[in-house]
Amino acid sequence: MILSMMRSPRMPVLLAIFSLVLSLSAFSIAVQAAAGSSAEPKVEVKTTLDNLMAAFNGESNASAKYLEFAKKADAEGYGRVASLFRAASKAESLHAASHGRVIKALGGTAKADIKPPAVKSTKENLEAAIEGETYEFTSMYPAFITKAKEDKNRDAIRSMNQASNVEKGHAKLYQEALNNLDAWKGPNKEFYVCAVCGNTVATIDFEKCPICFEPKSDYGPVK
Amino acid sequence: MASWLPIPAWDGLHPLIVHFPIALLLVAPLFLLLGLVLPKKWEGFRLSALLLMLLGTIAAWIAVSTGEAAGQMVTDLTPEISKAIQEHAEWGGNTRLIFSGLTLLYALLLALPLWFKSLSCRALTVLHLVFLVIFGASCLVLARTGHLGGRLVHAFGVHAMVDK
Repeated sequence: MILSMMRSPRMPVLLAIFSLVLSLSAFSIAVQAAAGSSAEPKVEVKTTLDNLMAAFNGESNASAKYLEFAKKADAEGYGRVASLFRAASKAESLHAASHGRVIKALGGTAKADIKPPAVKSTKENLEAAIEGETYEFTSMYPAFITKAKEDKNRDAIRSMNQASNVEKGHAKLYQEALNNLDAWKGPNKEFYVCAVCGNTVATIDFEKCPICFEPKSDYGPVK
Repeated sequence: MASWLPIPAWDGLHPLIVHFPIALLLVAPLFLLLGLVLPKKWEGFRLSALLLMLLGTIAAWIAVSTGEAAGQMVTDLTPEISKAIQEHAEWGGNTRLIFSGLTLLYALLLALPLWFKSLSCRALTVLHLVFLVIFGASCLVLARTGHLGGRLVHAFGVHAMVDK
């Protein structure tokens, strides 16, 4: 029977249709896989108040997460990484507070849904932190700032713009740590955080904060 | 009215206000010079010079303050842009300080004959001449600040946020 089917004059047509369906399915799966692997989480842009709430929630969670990452880094002997995580945690809490003030001015109430972070090895935590920060300064904040510009809400723009610029610096510091993780082993080391915008640096080699342009005296050490 | 002539926010005021200290303070030396070389009946030039300095210095204070606010609104802040803004801010702060001092000094210089009636005309002229030289040199600091601001706008493409 199979042989007779194979010999059928319609067989080549059937085979062609089958191949076409198979190719299309494979192509569709490949496209979906590629999209799933490379695309960052989609930014949902709502009203400026909603966006600030989302940013407040993100910053509050990041602050809590980095404190846990710091404990893990300390336990693994990466004292300098732990200090960086603690400094970044403080910066994120400052961003949350800044967003909170704008939310309040807009008549909202800032609420955060703090979720327990997935703490892995310090290397993996650094990778996760880079991913989170990169999403914030490349996707989330630019979209939110564009919306705030449309709404002409200057306080929202300022608050989110400063946070976005600071996140860029955090990602850079995390990347430095990741690139040379062994050198970041040992005792804790001081980082300096701007009390106004949360900018985080290893050394203060400027007179005014490079992000908010307030005097360097606003920087405080975090270890 | 609001759409025809929108009132800018404090940080959006910077591009409007910066031209005032530049124009007022750069014209002031001309009045200083005229007040120095013209006969006594043209002494009004000296008071005009003081008025220009006063207005220019007030404008400089507003320019620095609005500039600091405008700096916080700059999106896509790169290290190069940040450095350029810091440099401009630093020169702006120094300019404000220098011209505040010079304005105060000139007011004292004009009041000097009231306190020291025995002061000779020649001595006063020399003092005014020295002041003019110092003021002229300070104008270079002002020009440098203006140049750094212009560089920010025209070379780096940094603009204060002005509503459309």
